[in-house]
Amino acid sequence: MHPTTPTTLGRRRFLRGIAALAVAAPLMFGAAACGDDKSGDDGKVELSFFWWGGDARAKLTEQALDLYTTKHPNVTFKKTWQANQGYFDKLATLTAGGDAPDIFQIDDNYLTEYAARNVTLDLMSYKDSGKLDVSKFPESLWKYGLVDGKLAGLAFGENTQGMVYNKTLLEKNGLPEPTIGMSWQELIDWAAQVTAKTKIPGTQDPSADYKAFWIWLRQNGKDMYKDGGLGFTAEDVTAWFQMWKDAAAKKATPTADVIHEGNDTDITKQLVVTGRAATSFVWVNQMPELKKNTKDELGVVSYPGDPSAQWARASMYFSVFRNSKHKDAAVDVINFLANDPEAGEILGTDRGLPSNQDIRKTVADTTTDPAMKQSIEVETELATKFGPSPQVPLKGHSKVRSELVKAAENVQYGRQTPAEAAEAYLKTCQAAIA
Amino acid sequence: MALTTTSTPALRDRRPRPGPATRRGRAGAARRGEGAAGYVFLSPWLLGLMGITALPMLLSLYLSFTNYDVLTPWSEVEWVGLANYRRMFTTDPTFWHSVQVTLKFGLIAVPLKLAAALGVAMLLHRAWRGVGLFRGLFYLPSLLGGSVALAIVWVNMFNRAGAFNSLLSLFGIHGKAWVNDPDWALPTLMLLAIWQFGAPMVIFLAGLKQVPVELYEAAAVDGAGAWRRFRNVTLPMLSPVIFFNLVLETIHGFQGFTSAFVLSNGSGGPIDSTLMYTLNLYIHGFTEFEMGYASALAWVFLLAIALITVVLFSTGRFWVHYTDGDDR
Repeated sequence: MHPTTPTTLGRRRFLRGIAALAVAAPLMFGAAACGDDKSGDDGKVELSFFWWGGDARAKLTEQALDLYTTKHPNVTFKKTWQANQGYFDKLATLTAGGDAPDIFQIDDNYLTEYAARNVTLDLMSYKDSGKLDVSKFPESLWKYGLVDGKLAGLAFGENTQGMVYNKTLLEKNGLPEPTIGMSWQELIDWAAQVTAKTKIPGTQDPSADYKAFWIWLRQNGKDMYKDGGLGFTAEDVTAWFQMWKDAAAKKATPTADVIHEGNDTDITKQLVVTGRAATSFVWVNQMPELKKNTKDELGVVSYPGDPSAQWARASMYFSVFRNSKHKDAAVDVINFLANDPEAGEILGTDRGLPSNQDIRKTVADTTTDPAMKQSIEVETELATKFGPSPQVPLKGHSKVRSELVKAAENVQYGRQTPAEAAEAYLKTCQAAIA
Repeated sequence: MALTTTSTPALRDRRPRPGPATRRGRAGAARRGEGAAGYVFLSPWLLGLMGITALPMLLSLYLSFTNYDVLTPWSEVEWVGLANYRRMFTTDPTFWHSVQVTLKFGLIAVPLKLAAALGVAMLLHRAWRGVGLFRGLFYLPSLLGGSVALAIVWVNMFNRAGAFNSLLSLFGIHGKAWVNDPDWALPTLMLLAIWQFGAPMVIFLAGLKQVPVELYEAAAVDGAGAWRRFRNVTLPMLSPVIFFNLVLETIHGFQGFTSAFVLSNGSGGPIDSTLMYTLNLYIHGFTEFEMGYASALAWVFLLAIALITVVLFSTGRFWVHYTDGDDR
């Protein structure tokens, strides 16, 4: 029997070890989640930095961060980036594990979601002490990062809606170009004319596009959100869907399956670059990327209707994780990226017009990229016509967006009447923001 | 042990052999020692099972009774009782929609996949030159499994400018973007699932080899044609294998996720036509931050699949024939 004793003990110890591990594992995660203390007294700091975007953005961002490291050798970065698709899934998973990046890029679809759940650091005190300098920002722009009185993110880049058209196609066919301030009805008539002449549908049907819908609402004295609720009624949605249903009847827009392709947020799938429509509804800062995907020359104007319904929108933000171990360092980095002239020169207009207006001017004066020049010109011109910014989207905004696509497609595929789709849409929206 | 004189020598061997007490003790000790070593060798798998499967599963059971939203810390999670389960069955129309989509997918794709697997297995069962190559080629698609790359290729094949439409245009047909059409997106995914019939096919091949040739010969002598031989010899003899494949593929089919995710960019579109159950679950958990609700969805799914499997097993009694179980 003697030889057996150690093994049974060993097994018991081993089982106990497993039990200990099982108990310890969540504790370890828990500890990571609330690691609020300042470590790294030796001065060495490594910040994790997470963003979405393409190759070009990755190159620029890495360059700018390396510049920061050159100036502050004690600070290094763990850079992670990926395509927009799946970015927010990953960010949510990291956050759930208590392991969110120190600095992360975010947009206004999710800013409220994260801020309302206290994931983002309130930057207000840094702004007040001047550690985060927004004095050169347009006021409406940095205020775009306010959620319930807390500064949840630093607006990084200004942006506005832009309607992009295929200039080459129009010129070849002797057709007029769309103009700023033309009405929606004029756009539809013009598009029908383009279709008739070129056999290419004149415009993408933007009825599934929340930003087009939003602007149209504002032109009609409504808004997407008002006083913590929806700013529109089922009748508004019906009218919007009906307008595009009529446009389809005039052949101003493509067939439903083509529209569906263009409803993708991916830049390379916009109909104006795939050649399936003469016009697409995008953001102005996407012009350089759009140009890379087509040989044709592109023009850009505001969305139809009164351009004062458009506003200077923060194209995206940088937020700092509330439980970051190096909050001060992280804030200093985003301050650097926004306000340092050298960094600004590197980053250009990739994330939108630079928030810092001095840097914006320098970039505008020195850039040699024609697409970048064009987007700066258009945006500067539109800026004189902008109206006030709407309230930052409510929690549930991403659902409000995705449900609009569904409702609009139900009309486009002829499965529901505009009124039916509108009613169903309103119901889901109300549930989503509740 | 009710074995009497009819028991075969092989079975008799399995009976416990009486031995001296000391010998039994030593054997037991040795077995205990082996047991400890066994646990050590098992530990990587065991740790994995505990940490990666069992614990998260239990956690998700707990979460299904809470309003956990991914971003809020654990400590602030609230217990909501059965609210998540109630919501599913009463106020959430997308739940029922996703159940419909999943059932449609499973009920059409699984039988067709098995039929394709059996059909090709019958063809490849015969010994002719180069048959090994063809077996390999037909098996290849299922090796690629539920891969994202394959789904991307598939979506492009059935897109407007895809290979499928090029083929159609040879016959003067102007195809549409099948993957963008709410009526055709799901059938496209079914086709992908059916195409990957390699795994059940290999199992069918193995099953076909087990069917005694004498049975076919006897049937042929009795004047049975090819169809009768298939109906009355192949199918009954193969029924345990068919049953096995059916259970496996049904479970697998209902869990379809990757291809629907890729086709719809994770939205279940166009117009929710590819909103499979698992995709709906994913959207709730990771895009709408309703992880508590998503956990409840997962548990209902688990129970539903278990129920379906039980039902399949209970029907098996009527149509599955085990040749070796005849004298039971």
